[in-house]
Amino acid sequence: MNEYDEKWEEKINALLDGELGQADAELLKSEASDDRELARAIVEAYQLQQAMENIKAERAPASLTRKLNAIPRKESANPWFGFLQPRWAMALAAIPLVLFSVSLMQPETPSADEIAKARHEMAIAFAYLGKAGVITGREIESTVGGTLSDAVTGSVNKANQSQNSHFQEKEA
Amino acid sequence: MSKRYRQWVKEYQDQAWTVARYILKDAQEAEDATQEAFVKLWHNRDNIDPNRVKPWLMKVTRNGCLDRLRRRRESVEFDESYMASEVSGPMQDAAAGETNLWLKRAISSLKEPYRSLVVLRDVNQHSYEEVAGMLELNLAQVKTYLHRARKQLREQLAEVRP
Repeated sequence: MNEYDEKWEEKINALLDGELGQADAELLKSEASDDRELARAIVEAYQLQQAMENIKAERAPASLTRKLNAIPRKESANPWFGFLQPRWAMALAAIPLVLFSVSLMQPETPSADEIAKARHEMAIAFAYLGKAGVITGREIESTVGGTLSDAVTGSVNKANQSQNSHFQEKEA
Repeated sequence: MSKRYRQWVKEYQDQAWTVARYILKDAQEAEDATQEAFVKLWHNRDNIDPNRVKPWLMKVTRNGCLDRLRRRRESVEFDESYMASEVSGPMQDAAAGETNLWLKRAISSLKEPYRSLVVLRDVNQHSYEEVAGMLELNLAQVKTYLHRARKQLREQLAEVRP
């Protein structure tokens, strides 16, 4: 189809769709009076439009209507249907793989001896920290004053207590 | 929700069926394809904009039919005369009936997307904008392709008419 055809096709279709403006319609009419091909194309397009008007959407058969109306009942009775869609099936298949990968990334579970040893080392560390806090407090008190000393000692002790309780919770 | 779904069935079943019928040219397969599209509609009922149900359904129906055609293409040579044997309902007169029959067959014989365009726009009477949305084309493409499809049809019609 060449450019000439496309141009007239557009105008003919617009005419039949009732979308062609008055000026364009007059131009088309004037062209058609000199161009037999164009005149024939307009007549044929009109005949096609007339024929098309007799063709309506077909009525769905009663058997189909029954099936369509039964879909909610059937699908609700079979809730696994949605679950068995390909994307869900893929997701389900991926679960063991994810679990395996996560297990590989996890550190090994420590033995009872290792836990006891770690607990002992943590207790020593906290004792040192407490001691250091008190000593630091005394030094600050002697140089700066009591208020700041209390703040430092308080915050160190608070941190120690927090660590201790967290450790105890983990043990439990 | 079931009530709303039933309303959708009432409103759109004929149009979806018509799309499937013209594309697949087989009543049983068209019935299956329409049913599949409505099953998808039921499962997606909460995700679809209620104002976009019709274009969504037509698009899903058409895509389902095209998938079926692709699967079928190599295996079966389809009988193009299906419409002649399956037209039902009263006819205004023999000549009009013949033209209707001929036209239905001619529409079914068009290539895609021409066939879907004619069915959606000229048979189902959807607006140009709706058709553009259903076929994922822009408005200019819809009009151009439709002009070509109609030109093919009217040239064929001129040949068979006395």
